[in-house]
Amino acid sequence: MADKEKTKKFINRLKSRNIVRPMVNKMYAEGVTAANEGRPLAWSMVNWWEGDIVMRAMGVTPVYPENYGTVCASTGMAQKYQAICDAEGFPTHLCGYSRNHIGYAAEMKKLGKIPPDAPLGGMAEPTFMLGSGIACDTRFKWFQALRQYYDVPVWTIDTPSYDHTEDIDSDIHEHNIRHKVKELERFIEFLENLLGKKIDMDLVEDYLENQEKVFQLWWEINELRKAKPCPMHSRDFWTLMVPGYYMTYDKDALNLYHQVYEEVKARTDAGIGAVTPEKYRLMFAELPPWHSLDFFEKLAERGWNFVVESQGYHPPEPMSLKTGDSVLERLTRWTYWVNVGHIRKAKEKNYPLFGPVQYYYNWAREYQVDGFITHSLLSCRTATFWLPHAANILKEELLVPSMNMEGDIVDFTVFDPDLVLKNAEAFEESMDYHRGERKRKGLEW
Amino acid sequence: MTTASLHGFAKARKIYEDRGLRARELKAEGKKIMGYYCSYPPLELITGMDFVPFRVQGSINEAITKADSSIPTIVCPIIRSSLDMAMKGKYDFMEGFVTAHSCDCQEKFCRIWEHELKLPFHHYIDMPHVVRENSFEQFKEKLIMFQKAMEAYTGRALDRERIQQEIRVHNRQRALVRKLYDLRKENPPLLSGAENLEIMIALMCMPIEEGSIMLEEIIQEALSRGNGPGEKDTRLMLWGSPLTETNLIQMIESLNAHVVMDDICVGTRHYWADVEATSDPMDGIVKRYLSEIKCPRTFRESSSTFEEEMESRFGYLKDFARDWHVDGILLQSVKYCDTHGYEVPALKAYFEKIGLPAMYLEHEYTMAAEAQLKNRVEAFLEIIA
Ligand code: SF4
Ligand code: SF4
Repeated sequence: MADKEKTKKFINRLKSRNIVRPMVNKMYAEGVTAANEGRPLAWSMVNWWEGDIVMRAMGVTPVYPENYGTVCASTGMAQKYQAICDAEGFPTHLCGYSRNHIGYAAEMKKLGKIPPDAPLGGMAEPTFMLGSGIACDTRFKWFQALRQYYDVPVWTIDTPSYDHTEDIDSDIHEHNIRHKVKELERFIEFLENLLGKKIDMDLVEDYLENQEKVFQLWWEINELRKAKPCPMHSRDFWTLMVPGYYMTYDKDALNLYHQVYEEVKARTDAGIGAVTPEKYRLMFAELPPWHSLDFFEKLAERGWNFVVESQGYHPPEPMSLKTGDSVLERLTRWTYWVNVGHIRKAKEKNYPLFGPVQYYYNWAREYQVDGFITHSLLSCRTATFWLPHAANILKEELLVPSMNMEGDIVDFTVFDPDLVLKNAEAFEESMDYHRGERKRKGLEW
Repeated sequence: MTTASLHGFAKARKIYEDRGLRARELKAEGKKIMGYYCSYPPLELITGMDFVPFRVQGSINEAITKADSSIPTIVCPIIRSSLDMAMKGKYDFMEGFVTAHSCDCQEKFCRIWEHELKLPFHHYIDMPHVVRENSFEQFKEKLIMFQKAMEAYTGRALDRERIQQEIRVHNRQRALVRKLYDLRKENPPLLSGAENLEIMIALMCMPIEEGSIMLEEIIQEALSRGNGPGEKDTRLMLWGSPLTETNLIQMIESLNAHVVMDDICVGTRHYWADVEATSDPMDGIVKRYLSEIKCPRTFRESSSTFEEEMESRFGYLKDFARDWHVDGILLQSVKYCDTHGYEVPALKAYFEKIGLPAMYLEHEYTMAAEAQLKNRVEAFLEIIA
């Protein structure tokens, strides 16, 4: 009986998601093969595409230690690597992904080869490391610190703080884009010097065209999720985000999103939800508990459908590009846009402005959510910082209540599923109550 | 009694004990107080607009009771404490508040501050993390925005000559601070580390010229007094995140050690570098604030080898250690500070290479664990001896 209960699934997962796993395997295998064949390999931070396409066009294979953190978390190896990192003298409060990777790197250095038990074949020694100024300080300090183990060049593509200018028409946005273009030009110079060859801008453009098609489809898929019931659960979103994050240059990614779009569209047309019955529509912030994703089944059993989530993983919405833009300007605009598009959206819809928590506000209204689930992470300040503030705004402005679950991206011992389930019951009462309140106040849902 | 009747050490002590005291007096006289955070908002521009700059800091003596509803507990406790104090009205004399992108916590905290406090003027200075040619252009643009925002708010223009004049005023204060630090090159030092920090903190809570007069008085007093901090066996340098109270240094100096030098942003980081005279004074300001402040928040392009990189990132600490005859380094950081945290192993390796013992102390921004920290410092002093 217990076994039977374990296998019963309450989330109606997409079939097309099955295409992703081989793609992820391919991504990691490619990294190891590139190193074995003497081709350049980069350890790269997620850079919201701007650096990826440039690296690919230069024949560099990037692998992503942040993603590797999720892999190690879900396979249970992260504990071991984190312990190594601690023993190396790094403070224990640092980002769980970074501790995982620093521990991994220290272990690989000690063994002189990829640790034999490394998940997905591991990540080979890099030719250089690419940090990013987007999102958090960790994402350049981490690689700077890793130079102690791998004495290879570290480059950082800097970025302005995007959303501190709420006037979407302000000149500052164009100025920021020019700065970012220069950052990319410097990066290209760095690569050309390091690798002794010139970049092929036609190839950059080809990749960019593929990326723009991926964005369009990926965005449309998420738009379909506004339907009631929502046809695609956050679990599928998190699985599907990997190609949209790391492989936008790749035709396989485009093919994947075509198939996902068809499947989600068919469900929407047929009124099929990812959770039946859809009693509550939830928004999830921010990084999911990678080690405990099955837990969402328990919430689905209660009729909780997660309809939108994780802002940093979403594609930019369609944007009209400026005629006369260079390829690098175009590339930069997308990276920039993914972070400020929600301000434009607010203006278009005449929503009030809430700075960096605007996307939560917009989504709460557009996806008509009943509740906001915040996942505070012990070791990620960036993803956790806004959560209480965002929860306050949603409650005050839209009468959407929130519930926090404590956890971590890597350390599964912090997450207490029983406590969350216990709180869920009381939270349903709050969601019911606020539904009535919203109606009384004349809100749209 | 107002602070006007106080001088030198006594004045510094009074303001250190009640940080807002001078600011409240000045506000009552009709002056405008501009709060700022960290060492990155260019003070020359703030004083150029006739604001009195006031450095907002937290306090380990004040329990955080209000800010937790807006900021999670796993972020920098100094920031949490600062917001908490502001929410409790401790900074109600401020007309505006300026922050910069020195670390991510600050970038985020300023938005919450703005939402919660709703002061008449708020400005966030977006600054690059990387130092390369185009970063200077970018930062200049952002500083011009800051200047324009203050001009729009006050209805008054800030001209070149005034900026140049302000640069001179601030550089003069910086020179006096360096002179003050020279007092601890002596053996025994003429000033204790705790006194030094008290003075630095007070200095950041009063008008610049007044602070410079206070510094001159203190230097004279220290040179002429007979009861300096006395003989001790070990001379330490303190590195790390900001300190808002002297208790940590007092604890160290209650042992057989003097803190004779620091690399913290309520110390040398804030005051060491001058603004160079440039034909457009903004260029000198841009250079000083973006590349001359030696804080781990800044990414400097990597050198060809890790060894060279360590030298370019940490070489100034070797100079400090040599000139202040330092025997050992205490690396300290408040928990949850990422920018300082990542720096620790490389710094330890660097000091090991140049033959200086170093120890890392992490603290929680409370003195609850003081006894434990003291034990560790004692053990460290034994190793050095
Ligand atoms: S955003 Fe969070 S999880 Fe990602 S690198 Fe930064 S600290 Fe780590
Ligand atoms: S102590 Fe660290 S986290 Fe706190 S404000 Fe300073 S740099 Fe930022």
